[in-house]
Amino acid sequence: MNATAAVRGAVGAVLILALWETLARGLALPAYTLPAVSQILAAVAEHRSVLQAAALVTGFEALTGYVIGALAGIGVATLLILARPLRAGALPLLLAINSVPVVAWSPLVLLWFGMGVASKIVMVALAVGFTVFLSALAGFDRVDRRSVDLMRSFGAGRFGIFWRLRLPAALPLIAAGLRVATVRSLIVAIVTEMLGAYGGLGWIIYQSVTLIDFVQVWAAILVASMLSLAFFGLVGALERRLIFWR
Amino acid sequence: MNAAAIAALRLLGGVILAGLVWEAAVVGFGIRPHLLPRLSEILAAFAVTPGAYWAGLQRTAAETLIGFAAGTAVGIMNGVIFFRAPLLRDMLLPVFIVSQTIPVIAFGALVVMWFGNTLFAKAVIAFYLTFFPVTVNTLLGLNSVDPRQVALLRSFGASPRQILFRLQLPMALPQIFVALRLGASLSLVGAIVGEWFGDNTGIGVLLLQAMYNESVVALWAAILCAALLGTGFYALVAWAERRIVFWGAEQ
Repeated sequence: MNATAAVRGAVGAVLILALWETLARGLALPAYTLPAVSQILAAVAEHRSVLQAAALVTGFEALTGYVIGALAGIGVATLLILARPLRAGALPLLLAINSVPVVAWSPLVLLWFGMGVASKIVMVALAVGFTVFLSALAGFDRVDRRSVDLMRSFGAGRFGIFWRLRLPAALPLIAAGLRVATVRSLIVAIVTEMLGAYGGLGWIIYQSVTLIDFVQVWAAILVASMLSLAFFGLVGALERRLIFWR
Repeated sequence: MNAAAIAALRLLGGVILAGLVWEAAVVGFGIRPHLLPRLSEILAAFAVTPGAYWAGLQRTAAETLIGFAAGTAVGIMNGVIFFRAPLLRDMLLPVFIVSQTIPVIAFGALVVMWFGNTLFAKAVIAFYLTFFPVTVNTLLGLNSVDPRQVALLRSFGASPRQILFRLQLPMALPQIFVALRLGASLSLVGAIVGEWFGDNTGIGVLLLQAMYNESVVALWAAILCAALLGTGFYALVAWAERRIVFWGAEQ
């Protein structure tokens, strides 16, 4: 992005915020229609400690589930590549599980693992795991058939081909999956919290909806967005560090 | 027998086989019904109240489809507007891209508060979950068109409108369909979550009721409905993609 575009982008964001503020203030819109930006920021400042505690809970759930899901996703994809016969049996089952919209698993997982953080971690791991698994599998499969044959003719084993050929070829796709998964991890944590939890941003959003506290809903969404952006930025920065050849 | 019929028969055979494996695994391994009930029990649950499941399926499908269709139309239109007006694009696109990384589904709570517990409110949620990715990908697709082809058409006297409909939009279709496939699953998720904020019919409602009743059989029945709808909708989009982008889809 060049300098002009960056300036225009900043101007656009400021204009939207200014328009929002003037509309809300000028037309004296009630909070349930649209609270002013300043009102939302004031609410964030006022309920700082509550929102901070909730963000910690949600962030912990998302991060833990993310790590478990990412490791499991890459691990299962690796296993299915190295053990071909396993793939024929396991892949249809995995695809069947994935054909259910992920949030539809939330009530069942809540029944199994209770209202605490465990159920959210499981849901996040499930969502992240499938996102990473599918991109890793696509990445491992992407290698040219002839390159595999060439390496095999030089006497490379299955592990050698995997380590020297498949893994480097798959890394960009795995990285893309990991990036998409950051956003999903927070969405799934929040959505599952809405169904039942003892704390967290999704729980606050659901409580505020039932209490008809509209400014609080906006405040929680704002904090959730900040959390999501920070997580996305972190994973993006890590990716640029690790996959330096792109 | 033509190829489509054979494919359908094979699919049917696969589904029946999967059902038999499910039933046999639960009985054979003695899986507790708390984890996974027998398929026959779930089918029996369908048979007891077929009306509730059918109504829920229809309702959620309507919410998803209306939102998805509107999101597609407005998203493509918006992508074209951004393409034609670079100033507007530079000012608004960063906001759009940032909005892709925030949990927009949380706005579902607000949408339901604004529009009440109506079909329309859930369609709005499905709409904006589809709308953002379609806008961004339409723009990406339009930008990827070879400028030399545009110049060629222009030299033949094609109007900007003709260039848009004959060259630019068709060339952008593979990118647009990437967003549509994403939107197909997102809009269904949006509709289901929207129903959790209180409603009377829908798959989300069935899920919620089954959870409150702690009825695992009813939960699995609702999950099967969700899977059916999700797979059917995704297959529909993939089928449309194969028909429309017949020269090869982008992965």
